[in-house]
Amino acid sequence: MLADIITPDLFASALRMATPLALAAIGGTICERSGVVNIALEGIMLCGAFAGVAVTLAVGNAWVGVLAAIAAGVAIAAIHAFTSINLRSDQVVSGTAINILALGLTGFLMEILYGHPGTTEAVETIKPIFRFASERGGGGFLAEVWHWVNTILFSHTPIVYMAIIIAIAMQWAMYNTRWGLHLRALGEHPRAVDTVGVSVLRGRWVAVLISGALAGLAGANLTLEQVGSFTENMTNGRGFIALAANIFGRWTPVGSYGASLLFGFADALQIKLQIFRGEINIPPQFFLMLPYILTVIVLAGVVGRSVGPAAVGKPYEKG
Amino acid sequence: MPLLELREITKVFPGVLANDRVSMRLERGEIVALLGENGAGKSTLMNVVYGLLTADGGEVLVDDAPVKIKSPRHAIDLGIGMVHQHFMLVEPLTVTENIVLGREPGRFGIIDFATARERVREISERYGLKVDPDAKIVDLSVGMQQRVEILKALYQGARVLILDEPTAVLTPQEVTELFKVVRSLVDEGLSAVFITHKLEEVVAIADRILVMRDGKVVGETTPSATDEIGLARMMVGRDVVLRIEKGASTCGDTVLAVEDVHVDDDRGLEAVKGITFSVCGGEILAIAGVDGNGQRELVESIVGLRRPKGGRIELKGKDITHANARASIEAGVSHIPEDRHRRGLVLEFDIAENIILGDHRTPPVAKNGIMHPKAITEVARKRIADYDIRTPSERVHAENLSGGNQQKVVVAREIGRNPELLVAAQPTRGLDVGAIEFVHKQIIRERDAGKAVLLVSLELEEVLSLADRILVIYEGRIVKEFAVADADAETLGYFMTGGGGSKIDKGAVPSVPETSATGGDE
Repeated sequence: MLADIITPDLFASALRMATPLALAAIGGTICERSGVVNIALEGIMLCGAFAGVAVTLAVGNAWVGVLAAIAAGVAIAAIHAFTSINLRSDQVVSGTAINILALGLTGFLMEILYGHPGTTEAVETIKPIFRFASERGGGGFLAEVWHWVNTILFSHTPIVYMAIIIAIAMQWAMYNTRWGLHLRALGEHPRAVDTVGVSVLRGRWVAVLISGALAGLAGANLTLEQVGSFTENMTNGRGFIALAANIFGRWTPVGSYGASLLFGFADALQIKLQIFRGEINIPPQFFLMLPYILTVIVLAGVVGRSVGPAAVGKPYEKG
Repeated sequence: MPLLELREITKVFPGVLANDRVSMRLERGEIVALLGENGAGKSTLMNVVYGLLTADGGEVLVDDAPVKIKSPRHAIDLGIGMVHQHFMLVEPLTVTENIVLGREPGRFGIIDFATARERVREISERYGLKVDPDAKIVDLSVGMQQRVEILKALYQGARVLILDEPTAVLTPQEVTELFKVVRSLVDEGLSAVFITHKLEEVVAIADRILVMRDGKVVGETTPSATDEIGLARMMVGRDVVLRIEKGASTCGDTVLAVEDVHVDDDRGLEAVKGITFSVCGGEILAIAGVDGNGQRELVESIVGLRRPKGGRIELKGKDITHANARASIEAGVSHIPEDRHRRGLVLEFDIAENIILGDHRTPPVAKNGIMHPKAITEVARKRIADYDIRTPSERVHAENLSGGNQQKVVVAREIGRNPELLVAAQPTRGLDVGAIEFVHKQIIRERDAGKAVLLVSLELEEVLSLADRILVIYEGRIVKEFAVADADAETLGYFMTGGGGSKIDKGAVPSVPETSATGGDE
């Protein structure tokens, strides 16, 4: 039975499941590194998911839908940026409000646009980039290896690859560019940044908007590449798991991606295990809990005393 | 031609005239000391120069040209650099990253770290300020961090270096080092403004001294034309007793008895390695030592904030070894903590609330678990009057008080409780002469009232002026005991840095103390 569970599919599925988490987690990383807590990732992702489907349904092109999802993410993030940076309100309260707003707004728009709650019509999902034949002539060991490699690495849709590229690019940028240095300094000691003449306000705005764009893209991946339709509250806590992944990844993009892979794997595993529930004889609800239990364990135990940016969550006041 | 000139700078905060037509000049290659008590307006003035505040009146001239300095960036462009009291350094970043922050070499937004590191090395060699460009700030000593701050200003092209209370956080050795550095920078053609309230420093470093009081310049002088007593009078506006006169101690019953106490630090390493001593009523026992030799852990174990691993602590014969803070207060132990912001006060609370903390369970402040606002106000007003806390009302938040007044709130609370034992840990840290005098007087008054006082201090002056008996602590052990009459700063310093050590019985002759115990800077 183990051979039925540990298949190339399992790992490919883990990579797929990890993608929305990773994109949102990297968004969270960038946001928190600038000193702003973004608990609104969940709501932003949900709005991105909805906007992606709604626009795709309207214009018939999923890529326009992806752009719309990103735009929606940026727009919602702008609310968070304005309240937490300009108005200096409590960032957790602002984020929570946005999460509630997103849930209500998407539900409301469904009623307005489609006349019913629940799930939208299906759109045609974005197809995988590569289509290599999984079977190569000759058989034997090499063919098996190719089958694994092809399934795990080359069976994915574009945003899955984009997430990997974004993780690496962001990591590089964070440690090699002016933007990255300023970002890392902002979340630790904003006044130090201010006194050398770099705008704290602008730096934080940019970071929050980037996190919005990434969370929006995560939503697009969920609806336009994976599911093909929008269902109310379909993000189902992924934004929060992404926050956990960001912490587990120690506030770095590549770390966030790695942590997301772990959570993605847990998700993939629970889906797989459900197929075998007849033989394993454990209630399926238990498997559904897996990713969340893992989140708790990771945050409570494995990470230990993980220290975030010193000034995170603190509004900056000049002078 | 003065490099920097201020003409009649005026700055008003709501209800306070922080700077009242202040004028000053700074020539090339000159060190001007800005001396004044906390709240005299020194930092406000320099924040105006550095573009952090905008003046309400007056003129700033750089190279004889009037300028309106709008931001720190603008000030930096004009060649004005500032080393802030609270460092503007990003701890997890490296020395190089901190120094080049905001002015990174490179193209297309990509930082050229090789060039950055090279420039940092270049400047640090040119001015003899050695530092590892790749070290993280968090791993550096405070003195080293300050060096990075100075390098940062130099990298930005500073011709004027403003040092805001630069010695407040330094050890005596680091202060000496800093003075050398500043002197050599000035020899290179830079100018410096040195903000401080410490008299001996002004005399040691300044070419010219500007004394400020209540927002005004009240005098200008040079070190050769005055002395510490004269400066203190100018600064406070009255005669100040720098070294307090006190009568002989009358040792009564033993109040505190500490027996073979062992205490671990936060990392679980043994910080106090078997200490035994006692304090009697009417006596001030001082524990002298270099920071980090177990003082903190010892104090915390006595006041109930840390559990000793072994040994016994008794207060008037009652075992308080395992007492928590509450039981400790009830037993009659008061504690002036070394860090008034972290342990001494709740900064967001008002004075009244702060001044009754610890008494908030007992009458008259509370009865049957309910606090009585009227009684709190009464107690607070009485203590504010008794301890000369300068505040418009007892409802002012502690964070809005000056350091001296904050410490007075702590002292008022701890002494006002009428304890058997007063544990004072660095009770005058960061205070100006006026406030130091006040705190010292209160401590002596406690002694004269027959109470036991345990003083822990890093300042030898303070130890020598207050104590009746002195214990020297080194690496968690008491290495020497002195009656105050037999002690002087040099001998204390020798034992504090491990001079006696384990070789004490071999009859080592006190010679030049080794400084390795506090080193690790280079």
